[in-house]
Amino acid sequence: MNDAAVKNAAPARAQNNVAGLLVLALAAIALPLIPFVLPVSDYVLNIIMNSITYAMAVLGMVVVLGYTGQINLAQAAFFGFGAYAVALGTLTYGMHFWVSFALGLVVAAVAGLVLGLTTLRLGGHYLAMITISFQQIFDLIIVNWIDLTHGPDGIAGIEPPSLFGFHLTDKRAYLVFCAVVLYLLIWFVWWLPSTRLGRAMRAVRDNELAAETIGVHTLRTKVIAFTMSAVLGGIGGAFYAAGFSYISPDNFNFARSVEFLTMVLLGGAQSPFGAALGTVLLILLPEWLRFLKNIYLAIYGISVILIMVFMPEGIWGLLRNAWNKVRKPRPLAVESVPALALDIKLEHSTPMLKLENLQKHFGGLKAVDGIDLEVAPGTVHALIGPNGSGKTTSLNVVNGIYKPTAGKIALDGIDVTNLKPHDRAGLGMGRTFQNIRLFQSMTALENVMVGAQRENNPIESGREALTQRAMAALQFVGIADRAHIVVRSLPYGTQRLVEIARALAGYPKLLLLDEPGAGLNQSEKQELVGLLKRLRGHGLTIFLIDHDMGVVEKVSDKITVLNFGKKIAEGTPQDVLRHPDVIAAYLGEAPASGTA
Amino acid sequence: MEALANNLQVLFQGLALGSIYALVALGFVLIIRATNVVNFAQGDFAMLGAYAMVLFLVGLPGNTDLGIPGFETGVPYWLAIILSVVVMTLIGLAFNYGVYYPLRNRSFLPVLISTLGASIFLQNTILAIFNPQPRPLEKLLSSDGVTIGGVFLDSQYLVILVFTVCAVAFQYFFFEHTLLGKKLQATSQDKDMARLLGIPVALMIAITFIYSSVLGGMAGILIAPILFVSIGMGSIIALKAFAATIIGGFGDVAGAIVGGIIIGVIESFAAYYISVPYKDAYAFLALFLVLLFRPQGIFGEKVSEKA
Amino acid sequence: MALLELKNVSSFYGSIQALHGVSLKVEQGEVVTLLGANGAGKSTTLRTISGLLKPGSGEIWFEGKPIHTAGPEQIVRLGISHVPEGRRIFPGLTVRENIMLGATSRGSLPKAQMAREVEEMFAIFPDIKRFENALGWQLSGGQQQMLAVARGLMARPKLLLLDEPSLGLAPVIVQQLFATIRRIHERGATILLVEQNANMALSVASRGYVLETGNLTVEGTNSELLGNEEVRAAYLGGHAA
Repeated sequence: MNDAAVKNAAPARAQNNVAGLLVLALAAIALPLIPFVLPVSDYVLNIIMNSITYAMAVLGMVVVLGYTGQINLAQAAFFGFGAYAVALGTLTYGMHFWVSFALGLVVAAVAGLVLGLTTLRLGGHYLAMITISFQQIFDLIIVNWIDLTHGPDGIAGIEPPSLFGFHLTDKRAYLVFCAVVLYLLIWFVWWLPSTRLGRAMRAVRDNELAAETIGVHTLRTKVIAFTMSAVLGGIGGAFYAAGFSYISPDNFNFARSVEFLTMVLLGGAQSPFGAALGTVLLILLPEWLRFLKNIYLAIYGISVILIMVFMPEGIWGLLRNAWNKVRKPRPLAVESVPALALDIKLEHSTPMLKLENLQKHFGGLKAVDGIDLEVAPGTVHALIGPNGSGKTTSLNVVNGIYKPTAGKIALDGIDVTNLKPHDRAGLGMGRTFQNIRLFQSMTALENVMVGAQRENNPIESGREALTQRAMAALQFVGIADRAHIVVRSLPYGTQRLVEIARALAGYPKLLLLDEPGAGLNQSEKQELVGLLKRLRGHGLTIFLIDHDMGVVEKVSDKITVLNFGKKIAEGTPQDVLRHPDVIAAYLGEAPASGTA
Repeated sequence: MEALANNLQVLFQGLALGSIYALVALGFVLIIRATNVVNFAQGDFAMLGAYAMVLFLVGLPGNTDLGIPGFETGVPYWLAIILSVVVMTLIGLAFNYGVYYPLRNRSFLPVLISTLGASIFLQNTILAIFNPQPRPLEKLLSSDGVTIGGVFLDSQYLVILVFTVCAVAFQYFFFEHTLLGKKLQATSQDKDMARLLGIPVALMIAITFIYSSVLGGMAGILIAPILFVSIGMGSIIALKAFAATIIGGFGDVAGAIVGGIIIGVIESFAAYYISVPYKDAYAFLALFLVLLFRPQGIFGEKVSEKA
Repeated sequence: MALLELKNVSSFYGSIQALHGVSLKVEQGEVVTLLGANGAGKSTTLRTISGLLKPGSGEIWFEGKPIHTAGPEQIVRLGISHVPEGRRIFPGLTVRENIMLGATSRGSLPKAQMAREVEEMFAIFPDIKRFENALGWQLSGGQQQMLAVARGLMARPKLLLLDEPSLGLAPVIVQQLFATIRRIHERGATILLVEQNANMALSVASRGYVLETGNLTVEGTNSELLGNEEVRAAYLGGHAA
């Protein structure tokens, strides 16, 4: 395997930023050591301690909100789990610091897991409410369960931990320790987006439906995101408690959750550096603006609104967008990308797709009213019909986005009627959408890699294989040189091709194409026809919907015509497109004689 | 017999409390139906209404840091209510143009967060103008209440119930029997179609925000004599109002009212029989359970059709 | 001078061009139909005329005045009533209320006059009279379509834009619907009718245009278009040459 191609595929930013990273690294090492060299007041040390521990919690928000797009207004509760675990564990139960710490993280993780599971049914506002309710219940408990938590009096006398026998009572030494932990966490959160899980998270954020359809286990991804966020919050809380030696319920309430949210929004939810920046700014600002007292907090509120209106990606986002404007992406040299492996062995004659009496009703409307259909393996089969005939609904039922009211769906002989879309993707069902559903903030390569990540993809495991597969898919559709461009900036026709490449990267047996020609001009449509024929040559089975009969005629082996949710004709293009019933369905019945 | 009287007392209290939640929930649902915005500052409208009453009935304590002079007022109660409603109208307008309008085409997350920002802003502006001290407010009626059959009916609770019944009746009449009410409904049901008919949709939305603001403000004006006027009083009310809309069926007007009453009654009984400090928790627990097992609420449509 | 004229109109959805330089005319008193397969740009054309979509280039003239920069609220007041695709009646309002709201662009009408006009509407659409107090969502597809047209007519428009009225309706209902459209035309309405059902449309229209992927390909009188191979090809492919 040629490494040159793979190296070219690695994120280009790393090469550009080596110098920047070096400077950052030196600063990062130097900063925490300053208190040992210069006299620094306790007050300043506290501010630094505050910043570091809050930043850990805000990193959790980067993961769950920035990367995965899920609202979380209970971060202060997770922060509190860590803090109270350490306080109660060491002082009330006399346990070792690190044992209490671990227990706190376990509790936080379980809570995060539970909240993550609620996303199964709910998202958006409901999720916001669930997290707020959870936070409110936590507030009430820590204030009122006085026997356990000492209520509003709080808990004092928490001692900093010892590390390998070295007791960190010197505040400055503890600070260095916390800084190191923070740096490790920042590194972890920085590295996360380029991992398999990280890409899955970003896919869920950008377009959850598409992610689910191409094989991402969206629920599991969201649960992991919440759990990670909770653990990061817990870590911050634990170190906070040990650093300030006194905790009280005020620090872990809903207001604090809102503060964490504001910090991550101000700094930039997509980046751990943004999170750190936002945290520091929002801790320092009240100190600088202390003379404004209560007005400061009012300004705080207005700022949140202004941030959402004018810079939703935060300060870091502004900086990064400015940087991207300056730095132009270079097309890649891609001679050495291997050919895309797509060959499907067609041994048996089982239909690749079989629909038995498929029904989908919406209330009284029978959108799909008893369809029997077989798609022969290695063929291109088109589904056509006038507007409202049930084509798109049928496709969505085959894909798993809708549950059928009745009937069965079999993929290559396997009954998939009750499987979730990502499981169907795992069996080799690929799909593209009529209104392109790409992950807009990710590059073409990353989009296609998500497609390659589907379960049971018959490729080697590991990052290199994944990248190669993705590059090969891009090469197959002819756009490998644009692999590192963020898809948002690609022209429409190119985006279509990225979507097809994303489906191909998953080594599909059956490819569902929903109006692949929509929005393409004539020459682009000719290229599409060529592409589809090549795919058929590799043994792929294609099931497509389109309205351009020129395309359908050239590329299909068989056409099924629907009207009012039922099949009205089926056969070769020649037979079907001249069939009187089909013409009548499209052009309409002639008016009855005798009407005024 | 005494047990019955006690239970009736608790029920009466729950109905009154629930009415407050219902009023706030109503304003909340109307905004959702018209604009799809979930307004996390809805409860703060109640807080603002209460503080407006303090301003007109008592005065301002003054804030030397900010150069706000203190002064006393002492306007008659009925006038204070009218003036407070005027203030709430202006606030509704400001909210429409300052928070909703700039974000009207964005996805739900920036808007949700902005309403949170608005909530923080409102609470802290009031904090700056007044001070954090919770304040009592006199009741509307000079009488304390009446006792019927061993059940003491607090006069303020009675006022709340009477007002809520009138408000619901007005709501029904306005929306079902006036052309403007129909236009508002049309805007909620299909904004683009409303535009095609010539309905001034932007104006309809502004009216919705004003109406919701006034409803919320009235809730605050009515409950203030019972709860004490404090900066945070709106937040808890808001969360319960949200719970009410979900329990009743998200987006359903009747559901919001019924849900509010239900939450008030649950809370009242929970406080009496189980524990006072945790009474708020029961509303959230109810919400949690409803969200998990019947997210469409009592009257709502299925939340998701998808597999 | 034509009542409505489109001059070289191009419309975009984001970066996708949906209409490529479309020019067409509607004269006073005509029924003109716009035909084409799904996705050809027919609805886009109507939405561009009624102001829901602003054209990227080109001009739209109505009664000798340019309207391509106006919004829907202004355009309906100028006398163009758009009955959009999918009926879009207000599901939570009654049939009577839906109809009454159709007159919004004419300002406030005295109660007696409004009641009279609603009754006139029921005379044209007798099928929905017995549902006058039923809520919109309770009506069948065909009844909803009738209601949508009635509502559109309440604006007393100079030009009625009808978008795919036959969509999703059973053939028998479509017959009734088009009989009604014919009746409306006979009362003096000018109609631009977008339809997928070419035969039905050409039975009420005197002239037609055919759109294919955003381009106007054929135009002619209804007798020229009926049974025309080009029209069939626009839907089902197989263009000669």
